[in-house]
Amino acid sequence: MSSNLRTYIARRLILLVPTLIGMTVLVFAITQLFDPIERAALYITEPRQARFVKEIIAKYGLDRPVYIQYFNWITQVIQGNLGWSQSLHMKVLDALVTRFPATAELAIYSTPLIILFGIYLGKLSAIKRNTVIDHASRVVAIIGWSLPSFWLGIVLLAIFYGGMGVFPPGRLSEWAEALVRSGEFKLYTGLYTIDALINLNFSVFLDAIYHLVLPVITLTTINVALIMRVMRSSMLEQLNKMYITAARARGLDEKTVIDRHATRNALIPVITLSGLLAAGMLSGVVITETVFEFKGVGYFAAHAATQLDIPAVLGFALFAGILFILANLIVDILYAYIDPRIRLG
Amino acid sequence: MSNKPLSLEEQLKVNDLTVRFYTYEGIVKAVEKASLKIRKGETLGIVGETGSGKSVTALTILALTPSPGRVEDGNILFRKRDSSVIDILRMNEHQLLQIRGKEISMIFQEPNAALDPVCKVGEQITEAILAHRLREMVEKSIEVIKKEKDNEYDLWTRLETWTYKEMLNNPSDVRLKIIQKIPIIRDITKRRLRQVIRQEIVELLKLMEIPDPGRVIDAYPHELSGGMQQRIVIAIALACSPLLLIADEPTTNLDVTVQAQILDLINRLKEKFGSSIIYITHDMGVVAEISDRVAVMYAGSVVEVAPVKELFRNPLHPYTKGLLESIPRPGSPLKSIPGTVPNLVDPPSGCRFHPRCAYMMNKCKEIMPRLVKVSEDHYVACLLYEGESDD
Ligand SMILES: Nc1ncnc2c1ncn2[C@@H]1O[C@H](COP(=O)(O)OP(=O)(O)O)[C@@H](O)[C@H]1O
Ligand code: SF4
Ligand SMILES: [Mg+2]
Repeated sequence: MSSNLRTYIARRLILLVPTLIGMTVLVFAITQLFDPIERAALYITEPRQARFVKEIIAKYGLDRPVYIQYFNWITQVIQGNLGWSQSLHMKVLDALVTRFPATAELAIYSTPLIILFGIYLGKLSAIKRNTVIDHASRVVAIIGWSLPSFWLGIVLLAIFYGGMGVFPPGRLSEWAEALVRSGEFKLYTGLYTIDALINLNFSVFLDAIYHLVLPVITLTTINVALIMRVMRSSMLEQLNKMYITAARARGLDEKTVIDRHATRNALIPVITLSGLLAAGMLSGVVITETVFEFKGVGYFAAHAATQLDIPAVLGFALFAGILFILANLIVDILYAYIDPRIRLG
Repeated sequence: MSNKPLSLEEQLKVNDLTVRFYTYEGIVKAVEKASLKIRKGETLGIVGETGSGKSVTALTILALTPSPGRVEDGNILFRKRDSSVIDILRMNEHQLLQIRGKEISMIFQEPNAALDPVCKVGEQITEAILAHRLREMVEKSIEVIKKEKDNEYDLWTRLETWTYKEMLNNPSDVRLKIIQKIPIIRDITKRRLRQVIRQEIVELLKLMEIPDPGRVIDAYPHELSGGMQQRIVIAIALACSPLLLIADEPTTNLDVTVQAQILDLINRLKEKFGSSIIYITHDMGVVAEISDRVAVMYAGSVVEVAPVKELFRNPLHPYTKGLLESIPRPGSPLKSIPGTVPNLVDPPSGCRFHPRCAYMMNKCKEIMPRLVKVSEDHYVACLLYEGESDD
């Protein structure tokens, strides 16, 4: 069995190579929409190189056949050169690296909450189908789902920050910001909550959490219905299956029937969705980041797009593409763990 | 056959069972005043076309009527191991857990659908054993420890022994509960229990004539053939030696040679376990082979009950006659009953068989015939015989 699983994972990893190539080809295809001078920006790493556009076009063969251009471009990408972002005045790769921690910090707190609440509510709804509990949780979830995130964000800010003076926007208070920037506080991951714990600085940790409360509530409220709906219908489908009746027929109590049998099977479709959700959260949540001044990847991508900053947008597309491919990989491996049938195929 | 109590030789009695499904298309009157009885140790065959209410009746005997079905009327009397008689339809959920799998168990038409696809078959058999035979298994584990030669028990073995004694004498002990919540400790303190159960399952699988039980225990359902899956389902059903085994078309979805093997297996196991069996099928040939008595169901009601030889020699109900004539025989043309099984949302009035019956009389459209005794052990629900004798 476990050797089965190992071959499955190995096969899945090998498959990663063509998928990644396919994704880069797609991103590269976008560059073909622009003329060579615009494309040259992708190869510039410093502003002063801008004078040498002609040379760059010649050097990278931007007027040569497409496959040569792709080869040249991908060589640069592999070396980490994603071009120069005019809108941020820095290398695209640097921009992504500096912006990613803010997004990641939002994602690592909201995604598990969304998934756990979604699964819990979906399961509860299904078990209590057509009762007040079922209707109430579905209505609440749908309301959350249909709220515009900027509206919810602004209302929460108005009530808590504006009205009560708690939960301010931004990632840290001024004093904490200053401390973090001083040499005393070592940055390891750029995720302030985690770095604060590594530095054993609990006041910074609490301050970071304090700033995370509202954006995390916003993201959770809005996305929980996504998981809940799939969990509920998946659970209902499983509860109707014969193996559930069979499990009851052998004298198992309802808790065992639901937890050990129905839920495990019902989770299978939820895993895919959770993987996509996680990838989506990690690739940036434009509106929430903007409303709460959590300047992460989403904020950066939106900004770059409005400025027609092509290298930045492409860099963002590559980044999101890689995240989704990795998320799919993880989802597939989790699948194989949960569902033994997959390991054969 | 009205609400008479169980006589001592009877295992189960279903009286006037009525089950309806409340669907969007209307109320499906799936089972209508169906009555049955099963004697201790006998095999009762139930035959009838698809849709005649066999499965719903079977599941209702376990109080597992599928939703949106509701039991509207009737009772199901069952004699437990301790000889007390209960009405299954009036048990609470907790009491039912002590019946299902322990006193009555069931095997299903599609073994593939009856097994949880993501759970190893060994785990599924273990569940059945743990649900009803935990005490016995724990006692065996203590015996195993006692028998081990060296009496200088290490700390773990002592903890394990303590755990087992506590499980037997004081299962609600807080310390025990805490220990059972810690994953590694939980596994270490149940080492012998796991071995004992595994051994028990291996023996059970051998009885099911499963080759290489050690490998099969760790297999997932999809890794086994249909025949092997059905043997696993039977193993689960027999894990606690039930008094009554309900087999709902257990061979219908298997190929012919496997069908014969499974039938053979059930026949042999019946002798070994001494259980009563309700064997549901739509195949008259199988009924002849396996049953002591046969109940014929049509459109939700039991229309005829008789010992198997009597039924084949002297079928009384027009529907039974039709069924027997439609058994394929070499040399004679196949006759099938004209018409189709009625829609049970709006079933025919009176006798539900009247639109298809060659003997139909005027009163058949108005009066629903009741099951009456026509000779020793032979009952029929047809107005042709009404008034001959009454039960
Ligand atoms: N879950 C259900 N919902 C609605 N109707 C059902 C359900 N289960 C069974 N029925 C109806 O009950 C009748 C009897 O079904 P069943 O007992 O499965 O027949 P059999 O096992 O004899 O083939 C059929 O008309 C069927 O449509
Ligand atoms: S009661 Fe009438 S319709 Fe029904 S089987 Fe008997 S003769 Fe036929
Ligand atoms: Mg059936």
